[in-house]
Amino acid sequence: METLYISTRNWRSFLKGRIEERRIYAPFDSRNVTCYGRVSNSNLEDIVYCRARPAEPLKMFLMPFRERSCPSLPEIPDIVVMGAAACDLAALRILDAVFLNGQYKDPNYHMRRNHTLIVSFDCLAPYPSCFCELVQIHPYAESGFDLNISLYGEGMLVDIGSDRGREFLGNDRGFLAAEEEALRNRRESRRQVSEYIIEKNRSHDLKQVSKLRETFHTEFWKVPKEVENCVQCGSCTNNCPTCVCFIIEDTGKEDVSVKQKVWDSCLFPGYARMAAGSSPRPTLYDRYANRLLCKYWYMPENFTFTGCTGCGRCISGCIGKIDKRAVLTEVLREKR
Amino acid sequence: MEKNIYESIRCMVTGVEEESPSIKTVMLKPERDFSFSAGQFASLSVPGVGEAPFTPSSSPCEKECLEFTVMKAGRVTSAIHSLRKGDIVGVRGPYGKPYPLDSFRGKEILLVGGGVGLAPLRALFLALLATSADYKRIIFCCGAKTPQDYIYKEKILDQWHSLCGKMPLSFRITVDQKCPGWRFGEGVVTKTLDGLDVDTGNSVAVVCGPPIMMKFTTLKLLEIGYGDTQIYLSMERKMYCGVGHCRHCLIGDLFVCKDGPVFTYSQLKGKPNLWV
Ligand SMILES: Cc1cc2nc3c(=O)[nH]c(=O)nc-3n(C[C@H](O)[C@H](O)[C@H](O)COP(=O)(O)OP(=O)(O)OC[C@H]3O[C@@H](n4cnc5c(N)ncnc54)[C@H](O)[C@@H]3O)c2cc1C
Ligand code: SF4
Ligand code: FES
Repeated sequence: METLYISTRNWRSFLKGRIEERRIYAPFDSRNVTCYGRVSNSNLEDIVYCRARPAEPLKMFLMPFRERSCPSLPEIPDIVVMGAAACDLAALRILDAVFLNGQYKDPNYHMRRNHTLIVSFDCLAPYPSCFCELVQIHPYAESGFDLNISLYGEGMLVDIGSDRGREFLGNDRGFLAAEEEALRNRRESRRQVSEYIIEKNRSHDLKQVSKLRETFHTEFWKVPKEVENCVQCGSCTNNCPTCVCFIIEDTGKEDVSVKQKVWDSCLFPGYARMAAGSSPRPTLYDRYANRLLCKYWYMPENFTFTGCTGCGRCISGCIGKIDKRAVLTEVLREKR
Repeated sequence: MEKNIYESIRCMVTGVEEESPSIKTVMLKPERDFSFSAGQFASLSVPGVGEAPFTPSSSPCEKECLEFTVMKAGRVTSAIHSLRKGDIVGVRGPYGKPYPLDSFRGKEILLVGGGVGLAPLRALFLALLATSADYKRIIFCCGAKTPQDYIYKEKILDQWHSLCGKMPLSFRITVDQKCPGWRFGEGVVTKTLDGLDVDTGNSVAVVCGPPIMMKFTTLKLLEIGYGDTQIYLSMERKMYCGVGHCRHCLIGDLFVCKDGPVFTYSQLKGKPNLWV
């Protein structure tokens, strides 16, 4: 992979040129969260580089909360999303596997994926809820992006991950070949961030997480006290980068079907309810377990890789203040 | 442009037949070809109301007319019940895996259906009739709550029954609660399996009905001597997409829409929240 170096000053002037022609989104601080905003001339200097994953997952851009699929798709512009973390790219593997790689292609996702250029950032300051290393994902990306940015010295290293990424850079004169020493230093600082995350998660043990398939009985999930604090709000599923569940609504009149896809949450009691009101997951414990079994059992079985990327959004956003890591650790301990 | 997977084929309603107080059969004429194999299902949409999954109850060999037998259970099914001749609906699919008829060849085939579960079995039964020489024997066990709740009354009780002398076919018919004039059995459908004379070593059982009936029928079949791989179950789950995307229909890691809707019991055994 080709890696370039650019000074911060040159990068800003490069971006300035680009915002004329494309919508660019990047992370900004907003009160106590860092979330995506549209980049403009007036906020170019406020972009938050390489801290940790933004509050929103990438699916906000690729599968909006509600979108029409039929009879026609909405018109959308080309966009650039800067600031996705490595865990977000790992989540893209899942989204691609669900919506693109099977027998059927999702029309909306397919369109948006083609219109979106992704610039990922290394993480230098992970949140307390981050645990990517526990699910074998590193806090920096080596593939899956169009471009990737690591802060370095007075500027940044830019990895080129795709032809689209290269095209976006054009032949701006600010980009120079990166030196071997820069790459060596980056390897070292990346390793330190990995170790920091492992250290911060010492009390959680997900090594046996593949054994979760032996714990689907409701009783296991009654053991961790926290589970009953779940208020079934769906915040965890909304914020999860790999929760893809949706319903199809029909808002058409007369003989035209107008179908739109709307997010759903498996924590909602009505999610799986069938005719006559019966549900395969009648209790909160069944539904709470289902979300985690889906990540650590069903998705790996369906797609060969884990459905949980360790981004921690379901922990930091939980209304019931449930730390999923602690619940998993306890359920797995109970299993033994 | 690639085809939009959510686009339905427009269909004209050509007739509606009342089967029981809560079940109707709607007959549709699709604007474009809609072919399916027995076991597959479709998403039927009533514009402005929504979509729901149904297994066609008409013969897969019939190309002109597509039929669905629908029990009134909620929003979409109520809208289907109020359809009239000339109305327009949409159909997309077919989805799911067909019954593996090839592997049924030379075997004794036991069909067990309860209530509206007879609808999907009708399509299978008609497909089996079309190639009846391929199978050793067909035993059709049917159940309903009361004689009034029987769907396809004329068909099963008279038309199909009259085939019995002409081919290796037999019926075992029951209702949970009989009423005067009922000339068949009484008791839940699992009772029709009592004293069944089948060569379980060379037989498959196909079951479709309400969840509770599926559970007890499966247990009974196991008791009789059927193996896990010889029992085929039509599973029902909440569905939206039909194509393995929305994840509503999962039974553990299995998609009812994509890997099913028909599974062998060996595939399902040990999955979470299997029996509803
Ligand atoms: C593969 C497959 C094949 C099928 N084939 C057939 C078939 O051939 N024939 C057939 O009749 N059926 C069939 N079904 C079942 C059929 O799909 C369902 O009956 C149908 O989806 C019900 O849709 P509905 O909109 O009418 O019900 P909904 O309105 O979705 O309601 C479902 C049930 O949930 C309850 N409910 C909904 N919302 C609430 C709420 N807020 N609070 C409390 N309760 C609520 C309703 O009372 C209702 O009983 C099949 C299902 C599958 C998966
Ligand atoms: S965010 Fe927390 S409270 Fe809300 S549904 Fe998820 S686990 Fe339950
Ligand atoms: S119905 Fe959507 S995944 Fe099966």
